[in-house]
Amino acid sequence: MATLKRKKKKLVKKKGVRLGPSKGGPSKGGPSKGGPSKEGKPSTGTKTVRTKKVGTRIRPRPAEGTGVPTPSTNGKVRRKRRATAQSMAASQRDISVSEFFAKNRHLLGFDNPRKALLTTIKEAVDNSLDACEEAGILPEIWVHIQQTGTNRYIIGVQDNGPGILKKQIPLIFGKLLYGSKFHRLRQSRGQQGIGISAAGMYGVQTTGKPVKIISKVSVRKPAHYYEIQIDTKINKPKILNGRGDGVDIPPGDKGLKAIAKHGIEWEPQPHGTRVTIELEAKFVRGRGSVDEYLEQTAIANPHVTLHYLDPDGHGRDYPRSTDLLPPEPKEILPHPYGVELGRLAALLTEAEATTLVQFLISNFSRVTPGVARRLCRTADLSSRANTRRIGREQIDALYQAIQTTKISPPSTDCICPIGEQLLLGGLHQVVPGEFYTAATRPPGVYRGNPFQIEVALAYGGQTVTQNVTRELLLELVEETDARTIRQFLINTFNGLGADGADRIVKSSGLGTRTSPGKLKPKELAKLLEAMKNVNISEGQTMTVMRFANRVPLQFQHAGCAITQTILGTNWRSYGLSQSRGSLPKGPVNLMVHIASVWVPFTSESKEAVASYPEIQKEIRLGLQAVGRKLGMYLRRRQKVKQQSDRREIFLRYLKEVATAVSEVNGADQARLYEQLVKVAKKRTAEADMVLDDRGRPIEDRELDLGDNVLIVDPTQHQANIQRVRNQDASQEETVA
Amino acid sequence: MAKKKTLASKRAKVKLTPRDKKTLARLEGLADRVVSAANARRDPYVDIPSRTLSNVRYSPRKRILEMGKSTNRRQLFDLSQAKAYMRTMLVSSGCKRLLDQGKTTSLRGLYYMLKHTIEGAKENTFDEQNECDTIIEDVEVLLNSIREELHLYAENRGAMVGNITLTDKGDEINCARIGSGGYAIPSIVEPEIIQLSKKQCGAKFILHVEKGTVWQRFNEDKFWEKYNCILTHGAGQPPRGVRRLLHRLHNELDLPIYCVLDNDPWGYYIYSVLKQGSINLAFESQRMAIPDAKYLGLRSIDFQRCNLSDGVRIALNDNDRKRARQIARYPWFEKKRAWQTEIKKMLSNDFKLEVEALISKDISYVTEEYVPERLEKRDWLD
Repeated sequence: MATLKRKKKKLVKKKGVRLGPSKGGPSKGGPSKGGPSKEGKPSTGTKTVRTKKVGTRIRPRPAEGTGVPTPSTNGKVRRKRRATAQSMAASQRDISVSEFFAKNRHLLGFDNPRKALLTTIKEAVDNSLDACEEAGILPEIWVHIQQTGTNRYIIGVQDNGPGILKKQIPLIFGKLLYGSKFHRLRQSRGQQGIGISAAGMYGVQTTGKPVKIISKVSVRKPAHYYEIQIDTKINKPKILNGRGDGVDIPPGDKGLKAIAKHGIEWEPQPHGTRVTIELEAKFVRGRGSVDEYLEQTAIANPHVTLHYLDPDGHGRDYPRSTDLLPPEPKEILPHPYGVELGRLAALLTEAEATTLVQFLISNFSRVTPGVARRLCRTADLSSRANTRRIGREQIDALYQAIQTTKISPPSTDCICPIGEQLLLGGLHQVVPGEFYTAATRPPGVYRGNPFQIEVALAYGGQTVTQNVTRELLLELVEETDARTIRQFLINTFNGLGADGADRIVKSSGLGTRTSPGKLKPKELAKLLEAMKNVNISEGQTMTVMRFANRVPLQFQHAGCAITQTILGTNWRSYGLSQSRGSLPKGPVNLMVHIASVWVPFTSESKEAVASYPEIQKEIRLGLQAVGRKLGMYLRRRQKVKQQSDRREIFLRYLKEVATAVSEVNGADQARLYEQLVKVAKKRTAEADMVLDDRGRPIEDRELDLGDNVLIVDPTQHQANIQRVRNQDASQEETVA
Repeated sequence: MAKKKTLASKRAKVKLTPRDKKTLARLEGLADRVVSAANARRDPYVDIPSRTLSNVRYSPRKRILEMGKSTNRRQLFDLSQAKAYMRTMLVSSGCKRLLDQGKTTSLRGLYYMLKHTIEGAKENTFDEQNECDTIIEDVEVLLNSIREELHLYAENRGAMVGNITLTDKGDEINCARIGSGGYAIPSIVEPEIIQLSKKQCGAKFILHVEKGTVWQRFNEDKFWEKYNCILTHGAGQPPRGVRRLLHRLHNELDLPIYCVLDNDPWGYYIYSVLKQGSINLAFESQRMAIPDAKYLGLRSIDFQRCNLSDGVRIALNDNDRKRARQIARYPWFEKKRAWQTEIKKMLSNDFKLEVEALISKDISYVTEEYVPERLEKRDWLD
């Protein structure tokens, strides 16, 4: 408090005579420049938006106490006391958590319009998925982004979840730090209960439009419709429609009409929730975009169906690749190793009066009566001591005892990994490639929290553009609605990207703006030629996808334990080239998933995983597991290629040798050549077995990589080419 | 290639010397082995005596380097050797063509003769001349026929001047009246081309210097006239022609050889090659090495002995030091105390000296004082 007192002093000095708290108005008229004036000068009842969290503005000053001359630029003047303890007390007050986050929205991932859009969608989708999974419903999610003005978008996210009870809706969407997930130790996407309400708050702040929520619990029950604003001052929802009570929409057709009348979208579903937020945002594609987020979500959640309609009106569907819901994660008690001193003290005071041993057994996991007694003995406490009578020092002793006593690690069945087969399926569904492998590590423990690492890898050697036939290209060109060739290439071929498209267009010699529909046969041939010759994967580096509890992490890759571990792994021994301190080169997509009851993020915006040595070790082992499989596959491929290369080289030189020899000793050149070719064939017989008629290596029976591997023919890959779905209203979609 | 062949056959038959016939027989033997291997469905291969340090032996009795018996097998059906094998056959066929036509060509000429794009591939038989040169050396050791017998020669390098008259392809050449450029020593100096005779030689010894510039100094000062000697240089590491000629002059005319080389590891090495032969051409040591050659200078002690100024010193680099230690361990230097002290002295000096350093004393110091004094005092290293 001392700091605040001093600050007040300074404030008053600036203001001259106007001492202490003056009731009402002047706050607004106060000098607006300079930090101190912002300190909540006015007393209760006036505008309070300016109040800041106490302690955020610590500015040390040398002068202590009162009456000490303050060194200042305009000479040494003996000052009067500028504020009394009483006057300052008047302005000292609570800070609402919503006010704090409204001012510090970057902490939650709303630093700029671009990220705000992504964070909003992310929070909504994560909440939907959590709700569906908890209710045991196969999730189906609709995401719609619509532009309403420059830098203004309406975001609508709907799920087919269990719906929300009427009285809970305003609290969930209109109150920060309200949720079901914070107090329990259980694997879920959300943790704190800040996300979606913060998104709503951001929307209100930037556009003034309320958050609109429709939720339906069952077919027969009415749907609830709310328009909510968060009251940042008191961290409470303010309902705008239905005179502060919300509107009930009757079930059936009548309800659908009512919904249409309100001008809100609703995919007809028996139950579910739709949240619509209008906010200031910026829509971009590429890295850190919504497209990327949804794509990666589809990979990590193969049981989810996603429908996505972007601001340009393009729709893209990610159908689920499995109907199997992940098993329900179990809730666990905290493990003693993961509990800090303060938390231990809090638990003790919260607990009902009982014996210490009883308290330890019932509040922590893995504490057996034996362990509890041992803890008490080590801490020099009676095992029958009453929890209410335990003092600070004794708590400290108990805490020390926990650290030194060997307690078995927490049970790890509370973690639900995605599973190797589903990882392969998810990755295969979304990422083009020819070789897929996955590894799920056994669970580990950091600081008393169980966690589990999963790694999956997709390797795509040949790019899809190189395998397109003339007929297929003709078909694709006919059905596309893209205006330029470049757009056509980007839209049609997944994983090509703008850069690759540019290179193809350049090498084909066609104009960038040429319309694909107007291509002459000759130009089409040129395009095909370019597509075959341009090596897209040249200079490509590994793409890393990071996930925490099935949620993609898209920012702060450098600060994340996952990226750091990937960089620290030697990929050269697995057949990839890698320069020191950088990601390996090659057409590789790598995903790393950490599942835990409490993922250690580096910040509230949940963008990077903290580097615990236990976690890094598990990641490294996982990477090595997939790396080994990749290495085996690449080496095998290399070997086959070498065999055919060998024959080629021999055949190339045989003619020269035969000619030279016949020149020296007059032997029959043709006969000698034939004989040499026969010897060459004998020597490279192995190459015959593994080459098909097109000269490409075919499936290889000898290579046994285990069951967590998937090898596909990249030419047949459906995720590679985006075909136009004529029946659907949604059309061509761009590459994420 | 077929076209060239018909051209060659059209030409009148050239007269083959017995030496050529021997070489041709060896070439044909090589080709026959390929045919018989192909007939038997076996991998054709050639065993090439290896030209590496491990396969070189110093003979203390003959005081020269000799080639050992180990060979490298080069197979056609080995991925890393296929191209080299093909090239070996190409070079053989090229030599056969030269022999048939009774012509000689330069190494570069043969390179161009054989260089072409391989049918059905975007690949050349040879891309660089040095690729061809190493194969030629392989063929030399493989057939046990020296380059001259394969009708190949290298660029002329090195010069000679002095009181001697020799016959070069029938022309009498008086090396005492050859002007400032001297007699350019040809690449092939075999008795068929150059004839020496004791009667036509008035010189008493040979002074071999390292480079043309130093040689120029001696020639301009008419050193050879004053001291009645033959003056040669090898433009750095002496080529085969120079070494062979020195060998012949030494053995046929009984002339002692003294070398004036730079005081650095490279100079020591030149001396070593002249005296014992080189690793790469160990198979020719018999015909080239001069075990009696003497090392006159420059010596490591010359910096103090001749009172040279500090400016002429060139600091040794790591490479030099490594090389010097290597040379000190050569078997023919290892037992010689004088050489060991010499090399040790250079290492402790930590600088090298070029012959030109003596010019800092006086332009003609080297010809008028340094070399005469050394010769007078019989002060040299063996």
